[in-house]
Amino acid sequence: MQLTTTSNDNLPLRVGVFDTLAEGLDYAARGATGCNFFSERGRPAHSLTYREIRERALDLGLRFSASGLERGARVALIAETRPEFLITFFACQYAGLIPVPLPLSVNLGGREAYVARLAAMMQRGHASVAVTSEEMLPMLEEAARMAGIERVGSYSDFAALPYQGGEIRPLNKDEPAYIQFSSGSTSLPRGVMVTQHSIMANARGIGQHGLQLRAGDRATSWLPLYHDMGLVGFCLTPAMAQVSVDYLATTTFARRPLLWLQTLSDQGGTIAFAPTFGYELCLRRAAKVEPGQYDLSRWRVAGIGGEMIRASVLQAFADRFADCGFDGKAFLPSYGLAESTLAISFSALGEGVKVDEVDQEAAARRDLALPASAKRAKTFVRCGRPMPEHRIEIRDARGKPLSDRHIGRVFVSGPSLMEGYFRDPEATATAMPEEGWLDTGDLGYLAEGELVITGRSKDLIIVGGRNIWPQDLEWAVEKIEHVRAGDVAAFAVPDQDDSEQVVLVVECRLSDPAARAALRREISAVVQRSAGVSCEVVLTRPNALTFTSSGKLSRAAAKADYLAGRISDLDGTLEEGVYAMAVGAE
Amino acid sequence: MSDSQTGSGEQPIYEQVYELLQHYNREGRELRPETDLNAELNIDSVAAMDLIMEIEDKYDIDIPINLVADLRTVQDLVTTVRKQQGAA
Repeated sequence: MQLTTTSNDNLPLRVGVFDTLAEGLDYAARGATGCNFFSERGRPAHSLTYREIRERALDLGLRFSASGLERGARVALIAETRPEFLITFFACQYAGLIPVPLPLSVNLGGREAYVARLAAMMQRGHASVAVTSEEMLPMLEEAARMAGIERVGSYSDFAALPYQGGEIRPLNKDEPAYIQFSSGSTSLPRGVMVTQHSIMANARGIGQHGLQLRAGDRATSWLPLYHDMGLVGFCLTPAMAQVSVDYLATTTFARRPLLWLQTLSDQGGTIAFAPTFGYELCLRRAAKVEPGQYDLSRWRVAGIGGEMIRASVLQAFADRFADCGFDGKAFLPSYGLAESTLAISFSALGEGVKVDEVDQEAAARRDLALPASAKRAKTFVRCGRPMPEHRIEIRDARGKPLSDRHIGRVFVSGPSLMEGYFRDPEATATAMPEEGWLDTGDLGYLAEGELVITGRSKDLIIVGGRNIWPQDLEWAVEKIEHVRAGDVAAFAVPDQDDSEQVVLVVECRLSDPAARAALRREISAVVQRSAGVSCEVVLTRPNALTFTSSGKLSRAAAKADYLAGRISDLDGTLEEGVYAMAVGAE
Repeated sequence: MSDSQTGSGEQPIYEQVYELLQHYNREGRELRPETDLNAELNIDSVAAMDLIMEIEDKYDIDIPINLVADLRTVQDLVTTVRKQQGAA
């Protein structure tokens, strides 16, 4: 199979300088670059130039329009890493419809939880139609029934809709671009309304400033296309910059992470991103990699984003793959979030990971990030300066801007900000308390103008690069027999290697040890099925959990009580190791 | 299908799958067809991917993600292997 070329001979590189996504694809279609999809074993499976993507998107767009969909109607589609996703996404752009990418994330035996998640998103997005592959159709149909959506079908069903000619009226520059569901809990998902203006501003910032794209660049990605880093960073930005992309499905990477490096090596990829976890997964499988087995010397931007950046893992990766030509200077720490389309800040190209060692005591007690080199220092990674036209402010609890090295809430502004959450004014008002500014919910400080993130919005759990909302785990566990609503608190504590261990504290009224053991197993099974993570289950006495004056569960209090040993397990099986490590890491 | 009809044909697959699962069976539980992969073996999402890959490699089959969602027990795993072998 012929893969798409790395650069265009007779088409000048234009990065993010279009009014709309449709216009950007029109331009890319004048060249020979495009997208390549590799199989689960890493072999080329499909290859499409941007011209082919455009042609098929135009064809499908006309069929969509002819089928009577109103302008601005939402089209839900499962974001599988395959050509049909891109074609359908851009067909919506041409037909004046708003695509709503849905997650593709299934845990062992997790059908029910996944279907419920799809249904909640389609409902919140008020989708008119839902489309996916033949394989995923049964699950999407089930979800569509729950969400009350009648028009659901496979890609081929929609491609076979009658074609009646007609006119293409793409989404214009003042219209929305798509809805991104990557925020909010499963039960109450929030759809980020990304406009044509914000996606183009972000693509421009990423391409021109962050990555400084140039002729000869080629992107390689396994990132999920329902996630902002995958969709914006490795689908829309490359399309708006005529850059060829080599795709591996996320499940392929999860099973065979080294195929990522193999593909970079084989195709001469120059740009790839991952959360720290992605680099870690490669390291874990690297035992049999021979010196020089891959040629990673052309990989000039190895971006990191999506979760707290762990410098030690990246250093280990750089050391391990140095003999494959990997240069640690290629690391590019970055910061962003879906509410700002994707990116906010990038560190400087070619500098690698810059760490900031700060005094732990001053950080914990006085919210000050004072440089320190002592043993009690905590290491954070610098995420660079905001992109042009974007601003970052650190504010205190009252909203007052703080000066350098004061830790506070990270606020951002600029042309990449979302318009708001789709049909959710309340959540929008909370996230954007002031015109033009977004409260990211993350904690951090500025040092010489560079952003350093010290913590996330306090309750969110991130394991293996995936966001897990504690209330989703709590609600799932509350449905178990013998567990009552309000009996459960979920949170995470640092693990020995700085990743996170999920803890479920459950108030328990069972006196029979065998019944308690069964409950314990059931709880971990439910957590596995709904989120795909292992957890530590702590069964504790009734009324051990703290509630705020307004009756809300205080996870922070539960976590503090757990770490301080004030919450203990009825069977005394609290894992001493995890406990000790967590305390040590505080 | 009763056991007598399929017994001799299925037995080896079960044993092979049990063998693959031993690695994930940290508590040394007895493996039966109805053993629940989540509740009894506590296989998390990363381990699940490893397991699926091992099965795919061993039987030279693909187990697409939509089928993973329905894998709750050892029996489901064996049924899927047989189905995908038939499909190949």
